[in-house]
Amino acid sequence: MSITTGAAPGEVGGDGVHLENIWKRFPGVIANAGAELHVRPGSVHAVLGENGAGKTTLMNVLAGVYRPDEGTVRLNGIEQNFNSPADALAAGVAMVHQEFRLIPTFTVAENVALGSSPVLVRKREIEQQVSELADRFGLQTTANREVWNLSMGERQRVEILKALWRDARVLILDEPTAVLTPDEADELGRIVATMAEDGRSIIFISHKLGEVTRFCDTATVLRGGATVASSMAVEHLDAANLAELMVGENTEVSQRRARVHPADLDTPVLTVADMRVLDSHGITSVDGVSLSIGTGEVVGVAGVAGNGQRPLADAIAGLVDSEEGSVVVAATDVSAVGPKDRIAAGLSYVPEDRLGVGLAPKLSVTENSMMRSYASVGRGPLIDRAAADAQCTELVDRYRVKVGGLHHAIAGLSGGNLQRLLVGRELATDPAVIIAAQPTRGLDVQGVRAIQDVLIDQAESGVGILLISEDLDELLALSDRIVVMVEGRIVAEFPGEEATRALVGQAMTGGA
Amino acid sequence: MLGWHLARREQPLRGGQTRAVATGMLLALVAGAFLLVLSGENPLDVYTTMADAAFGSSRGWSTTLGRAVPLGLAGLAVAVAGSMGLWNIGAEGQIIAGAIFGAWVARLLPDANGFVLITVMLIGSVLGGGLLALIPAITRARLGVNEIITTLMLNEIIIRVVRYLVNGPWKDPNSAGFPQAPPLPAQAALPTLFGRANIGVLIAAGVLAGFGFYASRSKWGYELRLAGSSEKTAEYAGISLRRKILTVLTLSGAIAGLAGGIELTGSSSRLVEGVANGWGFAGIIVAALALMRPSGVAAVAIAFGAVQVGGLAIQVSGVPASIANILQALILFGALIAGVFGQYRPVRTRTTSSVTAAAA
Repeated sequence: MSITTGAAPGEVGGDGVHLENIWKRFPGVIANAGAELHVRPGSVHAVLGENGAGKTTLMNVLAGVYRPDEGTVRLNGIEQNFNSPADALAAGVAMVHQEFRLIPTFTVAENVALGSSPVLVRKREIEQQVSELADRFGLQTTANREVWNLSMGERQRVEILKALWRDARVLILDEPTAVLTPDEADELGRIVATMAEDGRSIIFISHKLGEVTRFCDTATVLRGGATVASSMAVEHLDAANLAELMVGENTEVSQRRARVHPADLDTPVLTVADMRVLDSHGITSVDGVSLSIGTGEVVGVAGVAGNGQRPLADAIAGLVDSEEGSVVVAATDVSAVGPKDRIAAGLSYVPEDRLGVGLAPKLSVTENSMMRSYASVGRGPLIDRAAADAQCTELVDRYRVKVGGLHHAIAGLSGGNLQRLLVGRELATDPAVIIAAQPTRGLDVQGVRAIQDVLIDQAESGVGILLISEDLDELLALSDRIVVMVEGRIVAEFPGEEATRALVGQAMTGGA
Repeated sequence: MLGWHLARREQPLRGGQTRAVATGMLLALVAGAFLLVLSGENPLDVYTTMADAAFGSSRGWSTTLGRAVPLGLAGLAVAVAGSMGLWNIGAEGQIIAGAIFGAWVARLLPDANGFVLITVMLIGSVLGGGLLALIPAITRARLGVNEIITTLMLNEIIIRVVRYLVNGPWKDPNSAGFPQAPPLPAQAALPTLFGRANIGVLIAAGVLAGFGFYASRSKWGYELRLAGSSEKTAEYAGISLRRKILTVLTLSGAIAGLAGGIELTGSSSRLVEGVANGWGFAGIIVAALALMRPSGVAAVAIAFGAVQVGGLAIQVSGVPASIANILQALILFGALIAGVFGQYRPVRTRTTSSVTAAAA
């Protein structure tokens, strides 16, 4: 399905930004498959899409970070051939990344002028010029303050100033509101409008429908690396059609796994009540979440990435502190205890970050396999290496993990084998409930199938599963119940048999 | 952008570290040979003299081992902290603190019999080193203050403390103005083992072997490696990082303190300002060459000691001191550089940046 409304497609080659038929392939992935993007000068243009839709890749092509395999990039009718971000900047394209690139101990003015000022710098003069530039676009800042004591919103304004200082005509803002408080986001909306009035093109990457309709004029939607809606007027956008564009039509009904033993909802194995979590910047990432998982129940958590799923999982596992709320695992209140006691109470966690959190890449297969059980392998202070190897062999055989040798570092294992090892280890403790975060991400078809089979087997034997996934089909296939998270809150809940891609997708984009 | 860069080996070379370090040292000897020829020496003679001095006689062995004691203990101190990713740059200061505490014990118990006095002095030195390391341990565990900075700065402080002591309250009135404490009681000297080596060699060997075994085989050592792999992984595994940092850094200081105690009782026989003699800093190199593995420290320390003994010997035989020092530095440098290739392998850098990043 492709919609082209709003701006006339005939103006291809005219003023503004024109990306046509962009292809970009990475080993094993096609990130852009004939994507296009047309942005007029003086407009604020939203780029929307699920995670993995190819937004970031397309923006990196425009900003000179990647060279496209095929396709053309045109600015004001002139074909461009960027070899580096510096080339793109020279042509007037600047990107404000999600991770700010500022030097904390430099002042605002120093950060802005860094790398683009004459050899001799008059500090006062630069500060004066930066202040004037900031005033012109309504960016509130203090030119002589050092960046380390600025809020995230202020730091973002410094990044925008850097782009304006280099007279960027095209500004790409990559999920700019993700780090902002609601007030700061509104402020950003005003700044963006001022810059557009000045004749610049603003590209605004976002997941949030509300922001897009408030701040933007036109929108492009990507799915699977291709453009499915080009330059449609945001007035034509509503939650229903945006969800359909982003997640696709509900052409095939996901095959739900048949269950032999239905879940027993009367005996919950995990109860989370009123959980509130702050991120490292003090912004609420989980905002009053309550949920309960029955014996043998699979509860799926849907949501666009970054809406609080990860801190929710970490907080339930005890890896991050929650401000408020309680966690009960199989009738034991574990709210006040650390990860170790939560494991002992019957909680297992398959974290999203396999190699950074769940497994230690430099340690051997055996050493990784005993992360939960080492305290009881061998009596006294020493580890019984033979017993550890035996335990590991059993795990490796049972979950068919292909390893070179038990004493080799696991860094060389493939993603599927790593995940089998990790999941197997987490199940070996006979948990009452498992949190599985993105358990099949990045795996091949067989790997996905193997992990899903294991999870369903566990549910059949009475283990409760909290399945956090960005793969809607996986959630629809496995879940007895699906909850949808938006901005740290659960905004919708669907029984498994009633959930559809359209319904869940609509709730995910904030239009429940 | 064509060129080379280093990529970490996913599987370490089989016996690769030893092989790589040995190759590096050999290449350094070849480079050193050119240097010796240029300065009119016969490289073969010089190298024979070095090897002979270090290993050719019981006297040579005893000198080499004697030097390996403080090197090995300081190396172990750094390696124990390093295996969980902590950097103890303060072994030098902790050695001094150990020596101060040992000397203090000797002042308090001048009439105790030898065995008791030495034992209590060594316990005191362990406490001294541990206490000094406790400060950076607490600030790191509780406040997250970088331990590299704090351990390094404490060296400067403790060196002034010992300078004050030997110039002031503990100054030997009979030392003709030399800044040094009075000699220890005669019974406080560590008994000789053989040649110039004292039983400090046995103590250090015991400590090194014990820790080497314990770190690789115990649950404690396993937790240490987990924490060294990633803090997040350690927390995920239910390990209390704070407590681990606190105990490991303190232990690291205590081991360095023991080195100070052995130097005091076995070698300097009185407290002097230079009691640490750079052992603590050399220990960082020893630990790095041993890849922060406590089990590898002893062998590296002996090799390091031999290079020092050999270097001294050729100076005595007439090779200019500067050449001897350059040779020593070359050998260590070669070993360090070569050690990198045990861990990393050179890889051709491919063109555009696009190959490094996966799709988003």
